[in-house]
Amino acid sequence: MVNLIIDDKQVTAPKTATIYEAAKLNGIDIPILCHDKKLKPFGACRMCLVEVEQMKGRQIPACTTPATEGMIIRTSTPDIVKARKMVLELLLLNHPLDCPVCDKSGDCDLQNLTYEYKVNSNRFTDEKFSHEIDYNNPLIERDMNRCVLCGKCARICDEIVSYGALTFIDRGIETKIGCEFDDGLNCEFCGSCIAVCPVGSLLARPFKHKARFWAMTKHPSVCGYCGTGCNLTLGVKDNKVLTTIYDENQGFHNGQLCVRGRFGYQFINSAKRLTTPLIKKNGKLTEATWDEALELVASRLKGGNAVAALATPRLTNEELALFKKLLVVNVGTKNFDHAAGYAHAALTEGFASSFGVSASSATILDIQKSNLLIVIKTDAYETHPVVGFEVNMAVKNLGTKLSIISDKRGKLSKLPDAKTLVHFPGSEIAVLNAIAKTILDEKLADGSAAAIAGFAELEKSLAGFSAETVAGLSGISAAEIKKLAGEYATADKALIIFPVGQAYAGHAADLASAAANLAILTGKYGKEGCGVLCLSEKNNSQGAVDMGFYPQDGGLNALQILDACTDGSVKTLLIAGENPLSSYPNHNKVKAALEAVDFLVVSELFMTETAAMADVVLPVCSFAEKEGTFTSTDRRVQYFKAAIRKNIKIKSDFELISDLISRLGGSAPLSPAAQFSEIAASTPGYEGLSHVSLRKEGAFAAVSMAPVFVVPQVAATIAAEAGKLALVTGSALYHSGTLSQYGEGPMHVCPENYIELSRTDASANKIVEGEVVTVSSASGSIKLKAKVTPRMPAGVVFSPYHFSDAPINTIWNGSPVTSVTVSK
Amino acid sequence: MSDVVAQQATEQEPVIDLSIADAVIDRYIDIPGNLMPVLQGAQDEYGYIPRVVADHIAERLNVYPSQIYGVLTFYSQFHLKPRGKFIIRVCVGTACHVQGATRIVDTFFEKLHIGHAETSPDLRYTFEKVACLGACGMAPLAMVNDSTYGAMTVQKVEDIVADYNQRPMK
Repeated sequence: MVNLIIDDKQVTAPKTATIYEAAKLNGIDIPILCHDKKLKPFGACRMCLVEVEQMKGRQIPACTTPATEGMIIRTSTPDIVKARKMVLELLLLNHPLDCPVCDKSGDCDLQNLTYEYKVNSNRFTDEKFSHEIDYNNPLIERDMNRCVLCGKCARICDEIVSYGALTFIDRGIETKIGCEFDDGLNCEFCGSCIAVCPVGSLLARPFKHKARFWAMTKHPSVCGYCGTGCNLTLGVKDNKVLTTIYDENQGFHNGQLCVRGRFGYQFINSAKRLTTPLIKKNGKLTEATWDEALELVASRLKGGNAVAALATPRLTNEELALFKKLLVVNVGTKNFDHAAGYAHAALTEGFASSFGVSASSATILDIQKSNLLIVIKTDAYETHPVVGFEVNMAVKNLGTKLSIISDKRGKLSKLPDAKTLVHFPGSEIAVLNAIAKTILDEKLADGSAAAIAGFAELEKSLAGFSAETVAGLSGISAAEIKKLAGEYATADKALIIFPVGQAYAGHAADLASAAANLAILTGKYGKEGCGVLCLSEKNNSQGAVDMGFYPQDGGLNALQILDACTDGSVKTLLIAGENPLSSYPNHNKVKAALEAVDFLVVSELFMTETAAMADVVLPVCSFAEKEGTFTSTDRRVQYFKAAIRKNIKIKSDFELISDLISRLGGSAPLSPAAQFSEIAASTPGYEGLSHVSLRKEGAFAAVSMAPVFVVPQVAATIAAEAGKLALVTGSALYHSGTLSQYGEGPMHVCPENYIELSRTDASANKIVEGEVVTVSSASGSIKLKAKVTPRMPAGVVFSPYHFSDAPINTIWNGSPVTSVTVSK
Repeated sequence: MSDVVAQQATEQEPVIDLSIADAVIDRYIDIPGNLMPVLQGAQDEYGYIPRVVADHIAERLNVYPSQIYGVLTFYSQFHLKPRGKFIIRVCVGTACHVQGATRIVDTFFEKLHIGHAETSPDLRYTFEKVACLGACGMAPLAMVNDSTYGAMTVQKVEDIVADYNQRPMK
């Protein structure tokens, strides 16, 4: 700590603090334009000039000058005020004063400072800029005429997003922010640049001229897409969510969002939302009252195990717990599941057997505290972009080492000194086993390992996994495997990260156990910066596991439930928010099951393909219209309340389930808060939590581990058949599940399904970018747009799973690797 | 998405041989801070930095394409358009100006039918006014590539143009 005097006040600050930070910590505001707490100091705008007595009263920038012992600083002398006024005059010289039509007005740093410093005239005159406004993309408008060249957009795009779309171009008075060759913006559209822009140069186009900033109410919420658990601020006017607002003090991510979080909110107020219950009469869904619909549903909830349910892990903890209660207590069935079953197996089977707990042994906060990150599949960036930002910052700012084990390259592979070990699709477990084997052979295992249960069995099972054998199997050289094993075992702190989800059939229990074995072997768990972090797919995937919404005691899992529908042993199927027709493997089989089941009830926001097949469709709320808690992938429980009032004709899943419980003669808690008290009392790790205690910020549910070694089953590597390409499925950056199809933002930039192939395969088949090709597997064929990228290895093609229009499950049966042909 | 852009650029400039750029990149690939020498080397080979070359360098050096463009536009030594075989530079600094550099410049404009910082359509000439060539004693001064022509006159301009019109392009 250093002691210094700011504005005649004796203060202390950490040794690393700049003058600006020291002042801020002690409640003294210094005006800034180019500084952001997440970015490195830059010192471009000269707004933060202060006087330091020891420097003979010279004016120095507070944001770049370290605070040192004994400094005497004055932040607002008449000279300083004069200098700041002059800075503003010079900025306003070129800045167009079009505030009445600028969406930034009211939230604009330049406007606020101009007001604060009373700059009501300008001693200088100059021409305004006449740069062309970039309207080339549907999401981000770039008006360089308003730019003050603070460089925040270019810096955040480099330092945190690591995309580097924007940079300073030209020099001197002609300097401006632009893209390569002065083109229109063409990036991943996370909108981080919009968030940090202090003026109206970068604006969200979907929000253009929708509302004045001050006319909106700001509602903190939790993002409803992936499992990262980002906090959002929703801008609401006239009961409509109009935009997401940046708040740099929100969440572990300091307000950073990805394209889905920032631009994917439109589904909330979509005109396509269902507004009334529907009952199938004479083969057609017709409008009905809630009473009719629920009475009909309640009458079919009989016969114990003949009733089954699939719920989406987008529901709140309260809803999932209540739903489970309805099924177990009031209906008496054991058959319920979520996320196609295998998408949560890494937690419920893998970690449950390896660590004795169905949760990850690390949190997202450990990423920046680690020395070595091993990411299995580069898709971790696409599935959880904000976790990807954490990896970017760790590697770029802190020098954390990054090794990637993946079947393709990706954005993470481009990070400085990132090592990507590209393996044949489907061989990741063998690679992890080879690393474990090397650690054992080279005596790098932790002293504690041999005493842990299962050690002998593991050692025996690894006999066939020498680095040399696996090198042939995986395509990664033995030397590289051994090097990574050595690095992992000797690293002070190391963290393994892998994504799971419905598109990652290979990332299930065995992969989790194989990764857990490495952590247990080297003692890298239960400590800061260590562990295995499984990135679960949906916003409440971890919550669904914690609530126990998966088959136990012999209940059927999701895929078995569908089989049981086909063979007639399940008569009534309740689907809450899942869209198996698009997102579960094997389209035809799912369709046959949903057609075969006697009575299908779907509660949904939209008329999905699955809902269209239902006998009863019940319209429900989105996260913005209800209260509850979500548990993020690292078990952070976060409370959110409704941002807008729901349409009076729809119900939340909570109300709907409560109603069904009372119709079946049971009694349900009156409110989500009451339900949460029950959860807190019965769920390990949730003890002591309540809606009230979570109101201010989320809390981590404790994870207690009991590690054992589990021998993972290694399926023979599935190579594509001769002459065919290996199709791997996954997530696209712009989407999450099938919900993002109803968010206009993601659909603007990634509107349809595609197939990514390597340059080698493209030129061998004479396929060019954007061409429509036919992709065929043993189970069917679809037409997809070709995307030729340098990241795919020859022989491997990739396609995401989000799209109902050309669902990849028509050619994909849930195998980690599918042999396909691609033809024109 | 930048791959789409690269693809379009390839269609516009089909004649660029990237193996030349690869040879330059290979020379510097392992040196930290290699962007400047690679760009300079590439410009020596191609005469300017074509977009496909910039994109290719970005991919091989793992530098953002935007950052490369920032560097290319910051330094006046880099050119983004093809340049003439013969670069004519006429000094318009103080000493040359008082010795009548303006007339020399105007005569070149007339003879070459191109203006400042322009390149003739046949890619023979690029003309540039420069602030000082550092040889004020020889004012007014002109340079064609590496050859210096001191004490320039209107007649000498005609001689130089006639001379370089004769020279082979290859």
